[in-house]
Amino acid sequence: MVVAVWSDKLIMLEKTKDIAKQILEEKKSDGVLGLMKSQWDIVQPHVFEKPEELDALVLEPKWLLAKLSMSILRSSPEDYRLAVICRGCDERALIELTKRNQIEKENLLTIGIACSKEQAAICLCDRPYPAKLDAGEIASGVDPFQDERVREFLIGNDKKRMEKWANVLKRCIKCYGCRNSCPVCVCEPCKLEDDVWVQRGAVPAEMITFHLIRAFHLSDTCVACGACQEACPVNIPLLYLQLSMRKTLNEKYGYEAGLDPERKSPILSDFLKEPETGREYPEWINSLREKDGH
Amino acid sequence: MGTKFIKTICPYCGTGCGLIIKVKDGVAVATYPDREHPVSRGSLCIKGWSAHEFIHHPDRLTSPLLRKGDAFQEIPWDEAIPMAVDKLRETAAKYGGDAVGGLSSAKCTNEENYLFQKLMRMAFKTNNVDHCARLCHAPTTVAMAQTLGSGAMTNSISDLAGAECILVIGSNAAESHPIIMGEIYKAIDRGATLIVVDPRKTAVVQNAKIHLPINPGTDIPLLCGMMKHIVDENLHDEEFVKARMEGFEELNEFLQLWSVKRAAGECGIDEELIRNVAKIYAKAKESAIIYCMGITQHACGTANVLAICDLAMLCGHVGKEHSGIYPLRGQNNVQGACDMGALPNVYPGYQSVSDSAIQDKFQKAWGAELSDKPGLTVTEIIGLAGKDIRAAYIMAENPALSDPDTSHVLESLKAFDFLIVHDIFLTETARFANLVLPGSCFAEKSGTFTNTERRFQLLRKAIDPPGNAKEDFAILCLLGSALGLDFSYNHPGEVMEEIALLAPAYGGIRFDRLERKGLQWPCPDSDHPGTQYLHKDRFTRGRGLFVIPEHTPPKELPDDDYPYYLSTGRMFAHYHTGTMTRRSPFLNREVEEAYAEINPEDAIHLDVKDGEKIKITTRRGSIITTARITKRVSKGCIFTPFHFTEARANMLTNPVLDPVSKIPEFKVCAADVRKESQDD
Ligand code: SF4
Ligand code: SF4
Ligand code: SF4
Repeated sequence: MVVAVWSDKLIMLEKTKDIAKQILEEKKSDGVLGLMKSQWDIVQPHVFEKPEELDALVLEPKWLLAKLSMSILRSSPEDYRLAVICRGCDERALIELTKRNQIEKENLLTIGIACSKEQAAICLCDRPYPAKLDAGEIASGVDPFQDERVREFLIGNDKKRMEKWANVLKRCIKCYGCRNSCPVCVCEPCKLEDDVWVQRGAVPAEMITFHLIRAFHLSDTCVACGACQEACPVNIPLLYLQLSMRKTLNEKYGYEAGLDPERKSPILSDFLKEPETGREYPEWINSLREKDGH
Repeated sequence: MGTKFIKTICPYCGTGCGLIIKVKDGVAVATYPDREHPVSRGSLCIKGWSAHEFIHHPDRLTSPLLRKGDAFQEIPWDEAIPMAVDKLRETAAKYGGDAVGGLSSAKCTNEENYLFQKLMRMAFKTNNVDHCARLCHAPTTVAMAQTLGSGAMTNSISDLAGAECILVIGSNAAESHPIIMGEIYKAIDRGATLIVVDPRKTAVVQNAKIHLPINPGTDIPLLCGMMKHIVDENLHDEEFVKARMEGFEELNEFLQLWSVKRAAGECGIDEELIRNVAKIYAKAKESAIIYCMGITQHACGTANVLAICDLAMLCGHVGKEHSGIYPLRGQNNVQGACDMGALPNVYPGYQSVSDSAIQDKFQKAWGAELSDKPGLTVTEIIGLAGKDIRAAYIMAENPALSDPDTSHVLESLKAFDFLIVHDIFLTETARFANLVLPGSCFAEKSGTFTNTERRFQLLRKAIDPPGNAKEDFAILCLLGSALGLDFSYNHPGEVMEEIALLAPAYGGIRFDRLERKGLQWPCPDSDHPGTQYLHKDRFTRGRGLFVIPEHTPPKELPDDDYPYYLSTGRMFAHYHTGTMTRRSPFLNREVEEAYAEINPEDAIHLDVKDGEKIKITTRRGSIITTARITKRVSKGCIFTPFHFTEARANMLTNPVLDPVSKIPEFKVCAADVRKESQDD
């Protein structure tokens, strides 16, 4: 069994290497962004530019590359093309970034790889594979709302939950790591650097203005990659903060960030043009509907 | 040139987090956390995330500078090095080698510190080498060596997450060592009790189960009261004390003086609370004590640390996982600078300069005659400028801002016959130099740093130093060679091999072994995996020793003329003298100006509103700064960070020293506060 798991992983790795090599050999991109393992077993992100370098390619640990891809593309000449080895969440983040004109579609190529069942369980990921899967087998995902800790924070007695949140949020040391590492957190200027909302020089960062602004700004772009939570030095379950909004968008509008490259977020689009299924209008919108001739 | 990612180590605090620097066309453009780093595991604090920001600042020194009157003139290296060497030699010839002083640096690598002390000791036959550890953890080194035999953090940072009780004394880890604070939260999430002793209501306090807001400078009464109760109630680890300790009788006798009632009276804490805290600490399966400058920066700093060691040993909370004593080291490589013998009384590996066998060993290895007379400390070297010390070489230290009683320090810096300052910016100290040597920052060199948990870690060169600046290692080699020493090293790795031969505790440290996760000393040979926690079955000194912590109240207490307690320290966005952080836009935007914290009640009394200017005066001097009104400080206390050159907190601090370790009393002095009227 263990042997089988390992060999599956090896097959995926070899296949990814082959694809990446081919891309470089055929000059379909100028570089491939992935993880490199050195002679001393050190793993780090690396832009592979020559096919022979790819022997050092590895796929573990989970190390999100979407935001790095964006910064590499932005600081490169306009015609620089980059291929990125990406997991499901990475791919979804890249799709969101292209939708929001942060990345030129033409300059980006993805090499999609699948995550293991174990990885999906750690990430609470319900879709541990990219839409464009190039290597690896699809493993089953998990429903985050079945997780006990998630339920403690998101379901049940409001007062208790509020206390729980207040208790963890007051640990914040304002490292801005959640913002910096989130692949889809890209607004400029950043509201978290606006004196109106966030007081300079004060820790912990205020609960409502700092954390909720961040969370709401990402409500319809968040791809649930968990990068924010993984970067948080004080173990605040930041991913959970996003889950409810993702769920609502899904239930009310059948929308999920990072899936359909053509579909605009319901928050950006006209309510009235959203598909009928499962949606719910707030009361006040009825007057609008009439005006619109519905 | 494309984009490169280079793994290296954070240049700010002693946590030693792992960074990845993104280099684009030879420029460091961004910093990312290293997911695989054994301590930081993919997180960084705000300073780490901003570590690349000061590197390419236009203020960087790019050429050696020679003082001409009031101005500096750029000169080439082939003039600078001979001039430095001539002046130092001249001084030594005229006044003797002991007239030369050297301040090495807790910001520089182990290899650089090793070369620095070797250069001073060999070329001038003097032990006048010290560095800023004197100003932070000198008491730790002394007291822990006396009680346990080793002056370093006993356990590892990751150990904390498994502790059942964590007692934090005088450390604002949430702002000063945030990544370590993360481990504390992990412990809390697993059910651990966090107890915090601090006169201020810091961010750590806000997350504690129990807060003991003791009167400033009454740590010993509190700890003694706790120990008294523990012994009275038989809560101590009798077996451990019998099997592994000595000096219990004496300690017990001394504790008779410290009834809980007396302790409570001194520190202003309820008796019942002291008993309760003592019980929780003693009875937990694994208890850890974390402390920092709030313990050490007192005139009784050494005794404070002794009391902490006594308490931990009494309860058997040393020598096992998840427990132990955690002095949190400030600078990124202050541990290493001490380990490498940048101290006036020891060679690398804490080997005494006065021990003749050791002197012999180093004389043979280095091929030079060495002095067996312990040298002078930082404060003495500066204080004796122009008197006993005629010339000084200061590498990457900034005493003009970091040392107590600034006015005197500034006078002293002017008094040297010749002052060489080697740094990356023209610091407040460098402005007084005769000769300035432009060095390299962390991203421009290779070598090793040792973090607060004794972990040697590799620093990897990402880019070249700016202009004509050189790698610090190269500068030291040039100076050493010009002084006629055999400093023909090609690479810092060769220096490490030499260190390994001379200091048994680091015998197994080699650069190639450090690549992946570093190594925690002691690591005596090349197969040794490093040491996660010290004193396992045996203390470094054999048996542990209880030493009596005599209580001396702060030297200067509030009185009618100076009615407030003044305390100094750090805040989250800045670092020490601000040389790097204040040139980092993202950090400087958080806090651009100096401030002092005042309790709301005092603010009413003084008629000061938040954001208004106040004048703080002590017997040394006064500064004007901005009031921040907050309940973080208790009534009668003021706190001000020391990062700001325009309002130098150390103009105010009391230079009185702890008699044993010679640390100045930064944490308490008496001050007066007035509203600064806007129109004068
Ligand atoms: S999980 Fe966190 S980091 Fe990932 S997209 Fe959502 S908000 Fe951003
Ligand atoms: S990563 Fe965590 S500590 Fe850092 S700013 Fe975000 S919530 Fe605060
Ligand atoms: S905690 Fe210390 S070592 Fe870690 S990133 Fe912050 S300043 Fe750097």
